[in-house]
Amino acid sequence: MFNGAFRERLRNSWVEMRENLTRSILQSLGVILGVASVLGGMSISDSMRKRSMELYVRMGGLDKLNVRQSAVVKEGAPTALQMANLGLRSADADEGEEMDTSAVSGISLRRDARARVRSPYADQERDVRGIGGDFLALDGYEVEQGRAFSARDIDTAAPIAILGTEAVAVFFPNGDAVGRTLRIGDTPVQVVGVLKERVFRFRKSNRNMFRWRNRIIALPNTLVARRFEGDQYHRVDRMAFRIRDLDAMAKFTKSLSSLLKANHRQQEDFRLDDVGARVRKQQSQGDVYDIIFMLSGFLSLIGGGIVNVNIQMATLKERIREVGVKMAIGAPGREVFKEFMTEALLLTAVGSLAGLVIGIGFSKIITASIGVPLHIDPKSFVSAYALAAVFGFVFALFPAWKASRLSPMEALRYE
Amino acid sequence: MHPIIETRALTKTYGSNGAAVHALRGIDLTIGRGEFVALIGPSGSGKSTLMAILGCLDKPTDGTYALDGERVEGLSGRELAEIRNEKVGFVFQQYNLLPKASVLRNVELPMLYAGVGRKERRQRGMELLERVGIPEKARVLPAALSGGQRQRVAVARALANRPALLLADEPTGALDQKTGHEVLELFADLHRQGNTIIIVTHDLSIAAMAQRQVEIMDGLIKVEEAA
Repeated sequence: MFNGAFRERLRNSWVEMRENLTRSILQSLGVILGVASVLGGMSISDSMRKRSMELYVRMGGLDKLNVRQSAVVKEGAPTALQMANLGLRSADADEGEEMDTSAVSGISLRRDARARVRSPYADQERDVRGIGGDFLALDGYEVEQGRAFSARDIDTAAPIAILGTEAVAVFFPNGDAVGRTLRIGDTPVQVVGVLKERVFRFRKSNRNMFRWRNRIIALPNTLVARRFEGDQYHRVDRMAFRIRDLDAMAKFTKSLSSLLKANHRQQEDFRLDDVGARVRKQQSQGDVYDIIFMLSGFLSLIGGGIVNVNIQMATLKERIREVGVKMAIGAPGREVFKEFMTEALLLTAVGSLAGLVIGIGFSKIITASIGVPLHIDPKSFVSAYALAAVFGFVFALFPAWKASRLSPMEALRYE
Repeated sequence: MHPIIETRALTKTYGSNGAAVHALRGIDLTIGRGEFVALIGPSGSGKSTLMAILGCLDKPTDGTYALDGERVEGLSGRELAEIRNEKVGFVFQQYNLLPKASVLRNVELPMLYAGVGRKERRQRGMELLERVGIPEKARVLPAALSGGQRQRVAVARALANRPALLLADEPTGALDQKTGHEVLELFADLHRQGNTIIIVTHDLSIAAMAQRQVEIMDGLIKVEEAA
């Protein structure tokens, strides 16, 4: 290494490789394909994963704890206790927030109703959504024209509405929705804002997964409670808490669960959904694909390695005399071993580089054809390369060892 | 001063009991420093076996062998490689140059194995090529050289680590008479400069150039005569 022997070996290996180009390409084919399939496979599954992560972020983020009603009465008539239960109420949300005000950075409430919606242009039976707190932010909506509801609007149950793009297209096809009046049921409400259109296609060719979100007709939840689906208990259909910190989320989920249970007469008539935890769990199921891709890379590296050993053993026959000469002028077996190893490892290194390039191309083509943006994790490069290096090393050992064990005399005489 | 080569009762047997072939059957040979010896004998006489053992390419079955004062018969393969590298320079009938390495690299190779630094290798390699008379061919590949020139490169390579012993196996066997003669002149020169040389040959006219002829027959030294 220090007197330039390594450099010399590397140089000789390079010459050997270049002089026997066809053979070298054949030899490295296994490595190239193995690396390409490991890298390609991993980056395709990474791309899909990245895409679904984007989906959740666009749905309002991963740092959300959703709470919704669920039925406790499975069959038969409800018990008196179940009858007396009030379900989710806005008081639950308030108490939840008070439990840990530092962790909770946003709350959203939702109270839905179905009503006849009329404008000068259309008259339809529609779902109307009563929203409170930071619903828009927590659900990934942005206001494009006009304004959102203020806290005062919600407190006073102001007769105002915000529309999604589809609702605008139906009820105000001229597009001038802000400032106009809709009749919802018998209540005239004024449109104060229009939401930005929401579009998400998992693949380019897919239809818009968020299409239905553009149908929203949002009113203050207090207005819905007062005029459509209301009662004195301030029941809500759903609530959500935004909690930025992962550890705080775990703790909060637990204590919220016991709080709600206490509030609901010891009945679990609600479901908690920690979006982040759910997504992480889903994504870890995707690891199976990584293992499958890794395995296919493994197999092609093993196949390539065996081909490599074969070719190496065959060329060893041609090179026995050369080995004999080197030994005669004083190369110890160790040196011969190192020379063969250098050659094989150089071949692996160059082959892996080619494999990485092909792997990138391969994943580009696949992701483009399924219409998902390509995302390659640097870790995939490292693992594909490391895998090839390990296999290259292991499969180089036998021929190199065989060469190093030749007797100098017999090697010299070999014809 | 100890002799360069001293063997006692050297034997070499191939195969085992039933089908054993006794290639050498007890060679006592002493060669002093600076001698020029021809090893002659018909094929199958054991002279190639003797040369392989003298060159530390092979181990004797029995007997002792001291090369440059060092007993070598019991050494491991790795130690033998070291001895070949430092003390023996080989010249073969078929030159045995590495075809993909330049002339200079071929000459540098033994020094590389000996751990000589890059700069010194280069310098000594050029000196050696001058000594054998072809410094201008340093950068070309062996394939571009004539037979005589290739053998000169082989001689330069054999001399690279200033060996105690120069072993030449039919060095002119693949050359025409004129170039063969030139190569022999080179050996004679090297001898005059004090190198110890053993030439293995079956050509008596070549053997006649040496100081001393050792004839091998059936694994034994048959006649020894000084010129």
